[in-house]
Amino acid sequence: MNWFMSIFKMTCKDVYPLISEEMDRSLSLSGRLRLKIHLAICILCDIYRKQLQILRNLARNLGKEDSQAIETETLNPEVKEKIQKYIEDQI
Amino acid sequence: MSEETLEPEKWVEKYADMLFRYTLVRVKDPDVAEELVQSTFFAALKSQHTFAGKSTEKTWLFGILKHKTMDHFRNAKKNINLDISDSDTDRIQFTTSGHMTPSPNNWNMDPEKATQNKELAEVLAKCLNGLSEKFHRLFVLKEIEGLSSEQICKEFDVKPTNLWVILHRARNQLKLCLESNWINKE
Repeated sequence: MNWFMSIFKMTCKDVYPLISEEMDRSLSLSGRLRLKIHLAICILCDIYRKQLQILRNLARNLGKEDSQAIETETLNPEVKEKIQKYIEDQI
Repeated sequence: MSEETLEPEKWVEKYADMLFRYTLVRVKDPDVAEELVQSTFFAALKSQHTFAGKSTEKTWLFGILKHKTMDHFRNAKKNINLDISDSDTDRIQFTTSGHMTPSPNNWNMDPEKATQNKELAEVLAKCLNGLSEKFHRLFVLKEIEGLSSEQICKEFDVKPTNLWVILHRARNQLKLCLESNWINKE
C-alpha cells in the first residue's frame, strides 16, 4: 500500500528521466505505471514528452536521403572537380 | 521496364551534394564528410560490377556511403570518449519545489506534422552542430542512424545507463535550442 501511495507522490524530477528513457529501453512495469500516472496529472511533463517526440520525428526526417533541410550546404567545388576528373580518367 | 544502368560521369553532378548533406548531418565535421563522399565515389567506381541493376543508381550509391559512414564511426570510437563526465551537464534543472526549469512551453504542434516544417528542420540541423562530439555521436547513432540501444552499447562499448543519461541530456539541449531559436519567435 505504501508503494501504491508513493506513486502518486512522484515529483517531476523523479519521473522526468523516464520520459526520455522510455524512448531508449523498455521500462519496468513499475516504471511504466509511475510514468503513466504522473503524466495523467502533470501537464508540464506531458508537454515535455510531446516535445521529445517531436524532436525524434524531426531528427529522423533530417537524416533521410532526400532531406531538404540543409540545401544550402554543398560539396566544395574543388573536391567535385577532383572526383569528376578521377572518374573520367578511370572510365 | 529497362534495367538501371550506371552513369559514373554524371555522379558528381547528380549526387555529390545530396550525399554530402546526408553525411554532414551525421559526422558534423565538413572535412570528414567530404572525405567520406569522395571515398564513396571511388569505391563505387571500383565495384561497378556489383551493381545488379535491381535498385536505382542513387540507392546503390547511398548504400556504399552508409557502409563507409558506419565504418568511420567504428574506427573513430577510439578517438571519442563516450563515457559520461562532469562536463556533460543537464541543461534542464529543477527548482527546490520540484519544478522543471526552464519550464517547457507548449509548442502547439502535431508531432507528425512537425516533420513537414522545413524551417524547424533547419534549426535542428544547427542545434545538432552545437552538441559536443560525444552527445552528437550517440544522438546520431540512436535517432538518425536508428540503431537500437543494445547495438550502440555493444558496438561502441557504452554502458546502458550512460547511454540513457547522455541521450536524455542531448535531447534536453536540443529541445532548449529549438525553443530559443525557433519556437519562441513564433
